[in-house]
Amino acid sequence: MSQEFEPKIVGFLCNWCSYSGADMAGTARIQYAPNVHIIRVMCSGRVDPSFVLKAFREGADGVLVAGCHPGDCHYTAGNYKTLRRMPLLAKMLEQFGIEPGRFRLEWVSAAEGARWARVVNEMTATVQKLGPLNWKNHVRHT
Amino acid sequence: MAIAALKRFVADHVAPAAFIPPKPRGEKVAVVGAGPAGLSAAYHLARNGYDVTVFDALSIPGGMMAVGIPDYRLPRKVLQEEIEYIKRMGVDIVPNTVVGKNITLEEIFQRGYKAIFLGIGAHRSHKLGVPGEELSGVLQGVSFLRDFNLGKKVEVGRRVAVIGGGNTAVDAARTALRLGAEQVTIVYRRSREEMPVNKWEVEEAEKEGIAIRFLAAPTWILGTDRVTGLECIGMELGEPDQSGRRRPIPIPGSSFTLEADTVIAAIGQAPDLTVLGKAVKATGWGTIEADPETCATAQPGVFAGGDAVTGAATVIDAVAAGKRAAESIHRYLQGQDLREGRAFDVPKELIAHKELSEDMEYVPRQEVPTLPITERRSNFREVELGLSEEMARREAERCLDCAACAECLQCEAACGPKAIRHQMKEEYVELEVGAIILATGHEFYKPQGLPQYHYGRFPNIIDSMEFERMCNAAGPTGGEILLADGRKPESVAFIHCVGCRDAHSNTYCSRLCCMHAMKQAHLVKEKTGADVYELYIDIRAGGKGYEEFYERVQREGVIFIRGRGAEVIPVDNRLVVKAEDTGLGRPIILPVDLVVLVTGMVARADTAEVAKTFHVTRDKDGFFLEAHPKLRPFHTNTDGIFLAGTCQGPKDIPDTVAHANAAAAEALVLLGRGRVTIEPIIAEIDPDVCAGCKVCVELCAYSAIEFDAERKISQVNGALCKGCGVCVAACPSGAAQAKHFNDVQIMAEIEGVLA
Ligand SMILES: Cc1cc2nc3c(=O)[nH]c(=O)nc-3n(C[C@H](O)[C@H](O)[C@H](O)COP(=O)(O)OP(=O)(O)OC[C@H]3O[C@@H](n4cnc5c(N)ncnc54)[C@H](O)[C@@H]3O)c2cc1C
Ligand code: SF4
Ligand code: SF4
Ligand code: SF4
Ligand code: FES
Repeated sequence: MSQEFEPKIVGFLCNWCSYSGADMAGTARIQYAPNVHIIRVMCSGRVDPSFVLKAFREGADGVLVAGCHPGDCHYTAGNYKTLRRMPLLAKMLEQFGIEPGRFRLEWVSAAEGARWARVVNEMTATVQKLGPLNWKNHVRHT
Repeated sequence: MAIAALKRFVADHVAPAAFIPPKPRGEKVAVVGAGPAGLSAAYHLARNGYDVTVFDALSIPGGMMAVGIPDYRLPRKVLQEEIEYIKRMGVDIVPNTVVGKNITLEEIFQRGYKAIFLGIGAHRSHKLGVPGEELSGVLQGVSFLRDFNLGKKVEVGRRVAVIGGGNTAVDAARTALRLGAEQVTIVYRRSREEMPVNKWEVEEAEKEGIAIRFLAAPTWILGTDRVTGLECIGMELGEPDQSGRRRPIPIPGSSFTLEADTVIAAIGQAPDLTVLGKAVKATGWGTIEADPETCATAQPGVFAGGDAVTGAATVIDAVAAGKRAAESIHRYLQGQDLREGRAFDVPKELIAHKELSEDMEYVPRQEVPTLPITERRSNFREVELGLSEEMARREAERCLDCAACAECLQCEAACGPKAIRHQMKEEYVELEVGAIILATGHEFYKPQGLPQYHYGRFPNIIDSMEFERMCNAAGPTGGEILLADGRKPESVAFIHCVGCRDAHSNTYCSRLCCMHAMKQAHLVKEKTGADVYELYIDIRAGGKGYEEFYERVQREGVIFIRGRGAEVIPVDNRLVVKAEDTGLGRPIILPVDLVVLVTGMVARADTAEVAKTFHVTRDKDGFFLEAHPKLRPFHTNTDGIFLAGTCQGPKDIPDTVAHANAAAAEALVLLGRGRVTIEPIIAEIDPDVCAGCKVCVELCAYSAIEFDAERKISQVNGALCKGCGVCVAACPSGAAQAKHFNDVQIMAEIEGVLA
């Protein structure tokens, strides 16, 4: 029996909402996929598109950016900037040949532990279906 | 809005609340006249604890409402019910007593009455002042209606001419029609616009077949001993007179004759002052001289109002005068100034301007259904049938809510400690503060959301807040636990967890409602001895002394049934609660008199807005979210803003106090220090790398980046920067960096997690 593919997903989470939300999922003892490797940033607005590219190049099979719901950003409007940057980046990634399911922007509040778990499970399942990305090798060889 | 029609709907459908007698004051007050002015004065005086006697000359009470306004406009049953209500308040109505003839004002005072209100109305018709007025077949409008209403024999001929344009004239004409007259003509000296009567009454009269000759006045009533006709002259309108209406002037040579065998004169009325003797003064119009606002006459202790003072006007004016007089009499008897602190005018204020949204749909006014014309002749059934519930709802929904307050000032008058100042205006105050504590509290779940409990539809289904109010000594029942009809309940059911622990409303437990339901059960036992049932899912009695209290109410005989109350249905005069007794494992049915829905605490409706204002977050149930559920339970993620009480989640009073004290202490720490320490996580710009593009300047939500025009670079003000890193992510040259979250560190982290 072949071992099931375990994708590696990098998650950029804002400190105030999504990181706390993930914390909440933990305190609530919610079981969910262990595939997202979290990098904490102060605000989703800190996420430079080059971080996402870097993650894919370093071998990530998926990248998740999560922040406060629009209107709830701890810094008033940081996530509005994210909201403008990330769709642009998504288009670019598609042109690079990276399937849309591998990059995701989500809003998760500090109270939404269950939602965080659901987002992670969904994304893990999607990327699992898409299989390994291997952009690392791909980039090197062309 | 059809306000009159809506008021009528409410009056038709809502029984007056049970009257709770006030403490008797002992002083006796006499009211002369049982018309709307007198009855209104009697009602308000009785409510205030005075012992009121009403004397009336006629055999039935109601004044013009009973002997003037016909049945088809004011059904006698409705009037009778209102009068019965006033009688039940302890007001004594003495009929067949003409004050001035059977008893004088002096005699009334001698009998121990301390004040007198004269509401004798205006029952004497003005004379037409034309030849032929003494002929048989000439009737006075008011006496015609009175005789008819008192059941005396009244006859009209085939052709009836009614002279006048007010309510008396129109009512006399419509009554004559119902008594069998074939042709009824109203002769009025002005035009339609000047008629001092509701427009729709005139329209109904015309629909019924009554002709109106505008701009015509009688000059001669023709006939030898019986009326045969009426000679009239045409009129035109000249300059406005004192009443503001244009004065009619006869047009020479415009005479014409109307055939008539009955002429009813209804050109105005005055009170019959002859009986009162010289005690009160009369005005030039033949009315009683009295202050239009306080109702005081020249004689101390004697007050007057209604038609007797104003001349023929309306029921509502008379009711208002009676109410004003009652207040004046109260002040007079208590030795207070009649005017001080009183507002007589209804204050007029500009109604808030309301933006109407574009897609708002135009809804026409609901037409009040009327009796078909063919069914009106020869009977006195009510013509205006009133709105149905559905129509009333639709009409009420047309309200734009532009002025929620009706400016009636009743609240100001009712508040003993004068805590309400209606004229106060809202103002914006700017305060400079070092810390903010949010203590905005909670709301209670509104049981309308759970239709199975029928809350709001039946009077004896109430929620815990309403019950709490009823138990309060300062509440509407003075602390007595009563049913809507004033009886004491014999059995009461408390339904726990309304709006809590339920997927249809809220899933959390509100923590304190079990306890307050038990406290309330204890109060029912103590105050009424009624049977008390508590229908619960689990009893949550955690806390010092709480379990012991649970034991105690059980000993007091409160019956605890484990099972959620499933439904409340009214059966006959009682309520039936359906539930499943999980102890017995079978459904049960409990007939009770009163059901109390034990509602849980919910976040206030405006928490989302308040959260935005203060940059705090909310939990899944809408309460403000603490920074950490265990270690920072009254902090928020926004520095300097703290939470206290139920705005953070359901709490009882001791927990609220502890929480609030902690928040205050934390705020004091900030204030005591007088300085704030800021996080080291801020942005910095390397002046050697910055290209001066100003992209970052625009992005910063805190205006922390300034552009140095001289050096052509941007600079971060460290005290203003919050460290979000938005500018860093945008800087094309890599000059802007976030301390502790710089590009190098994050790139290394990415490599680390993917290694
Ligand atoms: C029927 C009943 C019985 C109870 N009995 C008991 C009992 O016996 N023992 C017990 O310990 N507890 C009891 N409780 C619970 C107790 O009432 C609460 O614990 C307590 O009231 C919480 O206090 P608070 O200050 O947090 O909120 P609240 O008492 O709700 O006060 C909040 C205040 O903030 C104001 N406010 C809200 N928003 C704003 C705004 N934006 N700007 C300005 N002001 C605002 C509100 O108008 C309100 O005055 C009972 C509750 C109920 C309903
Ligand atoms: S405290 Fe009692 S009544 Fe209130 S929600 Fe919890 S279990 Fe239900
Ligand atoms: S880090 Fe945020 S707050 Fe600080 S200067 Fe940059 S944009 Fe402004
Ligand atoms: S975005 Fe970067 S380069 Fe442009 S002004 Fe700001 S710090 Fe300088
Ligand atoms: S702080 Fe969470 S998105 Fe800005």
